[in-house]
Amino acid sequence: MTAYDPCAHCEEVMQQYMDRVLTDAERAEAEAHLDECTYCRKRYRFEENLRQFVRQAVDLEPMPVELKRKLADLRTPL
Amino acid sequence: MSETTREPDARRLATDARDRVRFEEDALALSDQVYRVARHLVGSREEAEDLMQETYARAFRSWRSFQPGTNLRAWLLRILTNLNIDRGRRQQRTPDMQPLEEGDYFLYNKLEASSDGPTDEEDVVERLSQNDVVAALSEVPHDFRDVVVLVDIGDFTYADAAQILDIPIGTVMSRLHRGRRILKQAMAESAVGGEVS
Repeated sequence: MTAYDPCAHCEEVMQQYMDRVLTDAERAEAEAHLDECTYCRKRYRFEENLRQFVRQAVDLEPMPVELKRKLADLRTPL
Repeated sequence: MSETTREPDARRLATDARDRVRFEEDALALSDQVYRVARHLVGSREEAEDLMQETYARAFRSWRSFQPGTNLRAWLLRILTNLNIDRGRRQQRTPDMQPLEEGDYFLYNKLEASSDGPTDEEDVVERLSQNDVVAALSEVPHDFRDVVVLVDIGDFTYADAAQILDIPIGTVMSRLHRGRRILKQAMAESAVGGEVS
């Protein structure tokens, strides 16, 4: 039988933790581990920063104004 | 036709026109948010623009099938993802054979290992460029990318993404899990380069 590895478990549930889909008990367990484990806490903070970074990176290309006009032109004439 | 029957008809037409105009305005008000998702579901800006126009043309034609009070953004995205599939942009199949069992901490470990000294988590993220992110996203196979873009960029819940893509919620979760790992692997390749294992 393989010994329980709390860091491996934390890694496994981290994305769901960040997605806020864990049960209260699972969430409490993850938070207790993050409080006491520097290794996982550093990686958790990185993952949070990374998500933010990805969202900002894709927002740098807003919808072209010309496209907005073309979409408005598709409306049914009054 | 008598005056008495013509009048309710006129009222009905006026109500219909008002509902349609309201629908079109609401849909157009969401176009920036829809484009934000569309832009990263397809490979290029030109494709995204074509897809947006097809989506809005279809939405305006079939506005009566939208149920007021439900999620209009999800409804528009469902049209858009269906059109994307119809347009044959699914050449790249689900890479079940793709070797990818790097863990979730892979990107962090890779970036940290390539640094000269101790770093904090924000410094590590700053090693990535915006181009790394956009390029890496375009490398994620479509089935996985659709889910990552809807959830991580479009802010849809797992349930919304399942409905938009017409797949079970469990499939959303497994594709999201793998899609995020593929994305991180691709970012590691562009940021650090060379061998990633």
